[in-house]
Amino acid sequence: MKREYSIIGKPTGNVDGAAKTTGEAKYCFDMSLPNQLYGKHLRSPYAHARILSIDTSEAEKLQGVKAIITGKDVPGGKWGLWRRFRELCDQIALADDKVRFIGEPVACVAATTKDIAEQAIELINVEYEPLPGVFDPLEAIKDDAPLVHDDFENNINATRHIEWGNVDEGFAQADYTREDKFTCFPQAVASMEVHNSLASYDKGSKRLTVWSSTQSPYYLQLGLADALKMREGDIRVIKPHVGGGFGGKNSTMPDSTSAALLSMKTGRPVKIVFNREEEFISTEHRTGMHVALKIGLKKDGKIVARECKVITDGGAYTGLGATALYLSGIFQTFPYKIPNYRYDAFRTYTNKVWATSVRGFGATPTVYCAESQLDRAAKDLGIDPLQIRKMNVMEPGYEAPGQYKVDSCGIMPCIEKMEKRIKEKWPKVEENEGIGFSAFAYMSGGIFNWIDTPYAYSGARVQVNIDGTVDLFTQASDIGQGHNTVSVMICAEELGIGMEDIRLHPADTATTPVDLGAWGSRETLMNGNAIKMAAGQIKQKLVDLARAKLGENIAYDLVAKDKRIYLELRPERGFSYYDIVRDAIKLNDGEPLIGTGHYTPHNKGMISPAYGMGIMAIKAKVDKEIGHIEPQGVLIVHDCGQEINPLGARGQVEGSVHMGLGYCLCEDMPNDNGMLLNPSMNDYKIVRQRDMPQIELMDVPTYEAEGPFGAKEAAEATIAPTAPALANAVFAATGAEFDSNVLKPEKVLKAIRAAEAKKAQKK
Amino acid sequence: MATWYKCPVCRKLSREHHDLARHYLGQTNKEHKDWLKKVGLSYAELITMQVTEFGNKGYDALAEVLKKEAQEVEVDVK
Ligand SMILES: [Zn+2]
Repeated sequence: MKREYSIIGKPTGNVDGAAKTTGEAKYCFDMSLPNQLYGKHLRSPYAHARILSIDTSEAEKLQGVKAIITGKDVPGGKWGLWRRFRELCDQIALADDKVRFIGEPVACVAATTKDIAEQAIELINVEYEPLPGVFDPLEAIKDDAPLVHDDFENNINATRHIEWGNVDEGFAQADYTREDKFTCFPQAVASMEVHNSLASYDKGSKRLTVWSSTQSPYYLQLGLADALKMREGDIRVIKPHVGGGFGGKNSTMPDSTSAALLSMKTGRPVKIVFNREEEFISTEHRTGMHVALKIGLKKDGKIVARECKVITDGGAYTGLGATALYLSGIFQTFPYKIPNYRYDAFRTYTNKVWATSVRGFGATPTVYCAESQLDRAAKDLGIDPLQIRKMNVMEPGYEAPGQYKVDSCGIMPCIEKMEKRIKEKWPKVEENEGIGFSAFAYMSGGIFNWIDTPYAYSGARVQVNIDGTVDLFTQASDIGQGHNTVSVMICAEELGIGMEDIRLHPADTATTPVDLGAWGSRETLMNGNAIKMAAGQIKQKLVDLARAKLGENIAYDLVAKDKRIYLELRPERGFSYYDIVRDAIKLNDGEPLIGTGHYTPHNKGMISPAYGMGIMAIKAKVDKEIGHIEPQGVLIVHDCGQEINPLGARGQVEGSVHMGLGYCLCEDMPNDNGMLLNPSMNDYKIVRQRDMPQIELMDVPTYEAEGPFGAKEAAEATIAPTAPALANAVFAATGAEFDSNVLKPEKVLKAIRAAEAKKAQKK
Repeated sequence: MATWYKCPVCRKLSREHHDLARHYLGQTNKEHKDWLKKVGLSYAELITMQVTEFGNKGYDALAEVLKKEAQEVEVDVK
């Protein structure tokens, strides 16, 4: 049934759009406090070295230097996001006994100006004893490899095994099997706003306030509590506007811990802003990995078994890498029914900055491998790429034993719509052109509770005042994806009022109910449910009062819409929302009306309460002389349930395609013995706006019963299919097969030559 | 009652030696690694076989050793 809404589903400009485009919106980057000091880190030049001594005496003499901290000044222990498994909480504020990657902070200076802080770190003398390092996962696990962390033998940080069905029997039944090996290279996060924090400690009350560019104020509050040995409640984290996170701002990082420690030491506010080089060499990125993939199919294209082996280059710490490892195994099975599946994965510590969840959360690398392999198998079997996908996709209610269950599921209608549209849009391809496909699915927030929170996954509080205005409090994080707008839209729709009636108070741990933050495309479904519940409580009070005043039969339904509460079948019988609110507050002993809401998924398997899904096609032209790939157009059919804000959803899709094209074509992090060779935006190549192909987006709306107003994921899903769809377009055009991402011209030429040689050999 | 097999290092019980091998190579602590050295196996070699070659060569090799080494336990599986 198609539902009609007043606000939901209408393309809506962001509530903070005007402030952002005029420069009025305040990011942490823009903030300063009276008497503020500036912090700067001294970083390790070694990938692996023991720290023998640190002499700060010369730096301390420099005029304007107010405090210097080293590892010895850190009161707390280690921290991490895997608080459920303390051995994986391996992060430290400042290196104490040894450094584990080039760029790891060893000391931090607070000074009256940025220049003085920079001069001061040059005066700190650190004596190191260099140690041999490990830089590749297959080297890291060797018995004689140097250990990154002494307690982790063979540098194994985490392992994952997923299995269902009987894989060996499945392969035995297959008419066709194929094995491919891939190397997936890492990808930088490259947010517009770098990591930065402003900390202010009040020595009287012993309370700390931190403003930070974070994806999760709650995670930061917990990380700071562990690092500083303080109570969570004595730390207030405020997230101002954030210029992008993409997974790189979930962990508590030294910008916050050092700013806090220096503020505690000096009693003055301290601000730390990483420069772009620091951002590249010392903050988290997408995981690099070796992938071995085997698929078994029947002659007709039905998948009977898949086996996947993964070993990842985790870097020096855990971050959310252990979760990404699991999801790399899960999302490559989507959106297919694979009856027999086995996944073995190992995450290694290496002497590099560490890898974590980045947009697509583990899905992006392995979906690239799996979708590339599927097209090769389809070609060998003489089956059309869309047909082979249609033959294997899930239907509503599909369950992967012990792992996940899929309720709303529009993948088949998506492919059918794609089949129809593609014939109209791209009826034929010219020489050296090809169309590639990739199906996709992604979570609407994760069920996993690695952080071990006792709170609901998301909370919201709604207060309705005497004049009908609404104050909406929630810790959910808008990091540029538009969740502030989605929050207000959901609240306004539920109460039947206008967005202009609502004032949003987001992301402040002192005043808002906990939300786990913006990751895994979770805010719309999880926080949306909490807001809808909180607003719904108030709506119920207003409806009950209106019903009593009308003296109507209890069976008659009332609705809250267009700022009125009225009988659904006789709209003329009702009241103004504002009048009812005034009466309700008078009857409430003069207290404003308060509604509270929360959401935690239950009985939804191990992964997510719901899955967005769809199919992507990319048309590309390949220059066979120089190996250049030109993406000419992108066509996407997306099932994201009921769209809350189609304009915001479109922005998310465009951003994902942009980052996915970079992953496929040019974003590369070459590393020489732990040294990143391109730590600047000059040398790290992202796709420019003018090189972006046109994107056509269609939807197949389903209704997701678990989501607010039927909504589910409408954010990250489209990054993972972008690289394989483009690689498959090149494969269709030239027969070139790739065993890695970053398809630079020389790699493309080599693959084309190999494909031509293979073809000649067959003849 | 059924015969299950006990991990030589921790209390984990598995129905099959192969499953026990899978458990074993999933452990990251020193105790599990040390026992491997004692029976003359290399964790690195087993993992390398397991992740770089198709099939279950790493698990298979360890399962062969566990057939001799893992204690049998009668388990009430009702
Ligand atoms: Zn054990």
